Amino acid sequence: MASDPNQQTERHGWKWLLSTPALIVLVLAASGPLMIVIVYSFLTPGNMGGVAWEFSTDAWFRVFFRRDIFDPENVTVNQAHLAVLWRSVWLSAQTTVICAVLGFPTAWFIATRPPSQRTVWLFLITIPFWTNLLIRTFAIQEMLRNNGTINTALLWLGVINEPIPMMFTDFAVLLGMAYVFMPLMVLPLYAAMDKMDFRLVEAGYDLYASRIAVLRHVILPLVKPGFIAGSILVFIPSIGAYVTPRVLGGGQKMMLGNLIALQFGQGRNWPLGAALAMVLLIITITALVLYLRAVNRQEAKRDG
Amino acid sequence: MSEPDPTQPSEIEITGLSKTFGQGASAFTALADIDLSIRTGEFFTLLGPSGCGKTTLLRVIAGFEQPTTGSLKINGKEVAGQGPNARPVNTVFQSYALFPHMSVAQNIGFGLKMLGRPAAEVKETTAQMLKLVQMEAMADRKPSEISGGQQQRVALARALAPQPRVLLLDEPLSALDLKLRKEMQSELKRLQTETGITFVFVTHDQEEALTMSDRIAVMSGGRILQLGAPNDIYNSPAERFVADFIGDTNFLTVKVVEATDTIAQVRLPGGMLQSARLPEGMHPAAGDDVTVVIRPEQANLTEGGASPLSATVTHSVFFGTDTLVHVTLVDGTPFTLRRQNAGNPTPPAPGTQVGLTFAHGALQVIRE
Amino acid sequence: MARQFSITRLPGFGAIALLTFVLLYLPIIILVVFSFNANQSQSIWGGFSLRWYEAAFQNQQVRDVSIRSLWLALVASGCATVLATLAALGTTRVSRFKGQTIIYALINQPLMVPEVVTGIALLIVVAFLKVQTGYTGMGYLVLAHTAFCIPFAYLPIRARLETMDRTLEQAASDLYASHFQAFRYITLPLLVPGILAGFMLGFVVSLDTVVITEFVKSAGQDTLPTYMLGQLRRAVTPEMNAIATLFLALSLCVVTLFFIVTSKRG
Repeated sequence: MASDPNQQTERHGWKWLLSTPALIVLVLAASGPLMIVIVYSFLTPGNMGGVAWEFSTDAWFRVFFRRDIFDPENVTVNQAHLAVLWRSVWLSAQTTVICAVLGFPTAWFIATRPPSQRTVWLFLITIPFWTNLLIRTFAIQEMLRNNGTINTALLWLGVINEPIPMMFTDFAVLLGMAYVFMPLMVLPLYAAMDKMDFRLVEAGYDLYASRIAVLRHVILPLVKPGFIAGSILVFIPSIGAYVTPRVLGGGQKMMLGNLIALQFGQGRNWPLGAALAMVLLIITITALVLYLRAVNRQEAKRDG
Repeated sequence: MSEPDPTQPSEIEITGLSKTFGQGASAFTALADIDLSIRTGEFFTLLGPSGCGKTTLLRVIAGFEQPTTGSLKINGKEVAGQGPNARPVNTVFQSYALFPHMSVAQNIGFGLKMLGRPAAEVKETTAQMLKLVQMEAMADRKPSEISGGQQQRVALARALAPQPRVLLLDEPLSALDLKLRKEMQSELKRLQTETGITFVFVTHDQEEALTMSDRIAVMSGGRILQLGAPNDIYNSPAERFVADFIGDTNFLTVKVVEATDTIAQVRLPGGMLQSARLPEGMHPAAGDDVTVVIRPEQANLTEGGASPLSATVTHSVFFGTDTLVHVTLVDGTPFTLRRQNAGNPTPPAPGTQVGLTFAHGALQVIRE
Repeated sequence: MARQFSITRLPGFGAIALLTFVLLYLPIIILVVFSFNANQSQSIWGGFSLRWYEAAFQNQQVRDVSIRSLWLALVASGCATVLATLAALGTTRVSRFKGQTIIYALINQPLMVPEVVTGIALLIVVAFLKVQTGYTGMGYLVLAHTAFCIPFAYLPIRARLETMDRTLEQAASDLYASHFQAFRYITLPLLVPGILAGFMLGFVVSLDTVVITEFVKSAGQDTLPTYMLGQLRRAVTPEMNAIATLFLALSLCVVTLFFIVTSKRG
């Protein structure tokens, strides 16, 4: 009804001005600098870091290709950059899958507890989400080191005679990311299950479906929005990860975030760093856009 | 029920008032050209189905909405355009809208505090109000710690505390269960009589409206269809909507034989002649088809023997104190009548031939 | 007795869920346990001792970075909460206006852009400003953390405003409260849990932020996370476990408080 007070909105045109202080801070320290990154990616690197104010597309070129030092005409694909790019995408995809495989049963477990217990389990999932990412990465490092928990335990049990080197491998980075981003998968999955009407599951069994059939034809389609949201929430921070690959991957198993940072440190090629940052941003935005499309399609399906 | 004295001054005077939401193609007219005068000290009810504009009208009087056109006077002063905090009216909200972070006493004292009354006066009036609604024991509780019925009393006390000229009540009893609702109905009536404040009451419950009001305005589609005392509205509905919305009714199409200004002789199906009351300003000619309404309890049933209006019983529904008997007239028109069960132990069997008679003045012609 | 059929049971799910919880907590528990280890090792138990906590407390550098972290988190989340409250009041419960999407995008940008990108973007700007102005103080970190905390503080405040029953404010104005009085006596007190939640989220986020700090800080402006990140490259002693445990305990307190504040109804 038109006179429902909660549907009404005030028409004071000045009200948005209250948000200006926040917007000023955000423009100064978030969106403004981001614009400058775009500009920097089209400049020439300075001698000692920084930039020279000369337009150049060289940085973008060097993201994907390289010129032979002695023969500038000889252009080859920049294998090192593409390897990092590929590792970032591949590790993030694997992280997402691992989180989904472990996260779905976990979310289901929480959603099917009695309501009084549910809060406790939810709280247990949320705590790691809000505790320091660096500390959790440190905890994983302690497990994986040559004289860490896992190797010590295996040596003590006599399973192995020499410690298995696990640090600074793709496996370490993958494990670390799956570990730190797991709650981001469980929470949206749980939210989707919480909204689910369990009478539909009953209807499935009533109509002679097996457990597998109910899972496939009733539960999975109903929690699909949770899967999509969880996947995007895990994939985006994974692809932009910096701390976890730095601690667990070291210098050898870099991801895009580390490669970008390198250009502002030892690499001293700020325009290249800026261009790489733009590449990362484009991947992130693409993922977000795909997600929003999927959400809209789901909503359209539901309305239609 | 005694009519309020028409010579009493009017508390609220509404003329040519309309309210439109939105603009252009999506515009929605919630109130269309309302003229209404509410008398000082009466219990006035706005009755209608949801979406009829009754709540919007109440919100316009309260000042939450501003009218698109027209004038609204409270106690002789034009208030259209003023905010709710400038008007001497208070509202009891459908959801009660008690402030959850304040105690019962703080809720009741809020209006007086905002009016800048001295603390001692606020305290004294709050105590009086708590006594008035029998909530003294709950003064320090939070709204979440008291029952729905008690919240209702606090909402009433809060709205009455600043001693407004008019109290606006927006379906205040709809959240209560039946038993509590009955209690609160008489409680409201008592408070209104004791305080002498004008009550404007919004409801979609016709029974509530009939039992509590001095006068009722029946609304539909943003208009007032009929305005009158409860018995007028019930016995002399002027339009099909009013007759249909309030109580159960039979509609019959009949032919006018002759008509005066107030009474028409009409011929019922099967040929029986009856006199029917005419609504004000309606002058049908002889030979016109008009619709009459007959309340089920105004018709009587005779079993056996000849009758000027015979019918066939289709089925009966037992209701405890009475039985609804469904019959069809000779021309096939369905008709329902209500028969007291006292003295009529067994309902007539389906297929029984019966005769119908009507109480004096049972037929009312309505406008279509 | 045969197992009763339960519609919510899916075979193996409970086991996987419990395994997930174990995997989530085991590393943290081991980290905490070995902070109380009497010997140097982080994997061989040598008895209970508080020596690493003593070492951490006596470490001047650890004290400095801890205080700096707490100070920065308090100041930045405090500023962010004030700004986010104003922004939430300005952007909720208003009819759609031009530029609304832009405002939302600006507010949520720090959530969507990878932290490392925000970090190097700030590095570029801050490096320029440091050269131009000569100022190398904590101002840059405060500004960067404030901007980063705004979306986190904004979320619960806005949610609280949107779910607030607007008839309460109408009831207040019906009871003769002016616009300001209705805000002061009704809206603001009811908004307090949202504001507190926003502050706590901002606090935890600022305390956690390592990437942005790493790029923005000047020499001698290490916070606890950047200090830890630097130390992790060396052979670490259980002193690090002790520091991490204390840090963890602080986060846990704030998160628990946050849960209590947000789950309270009304």
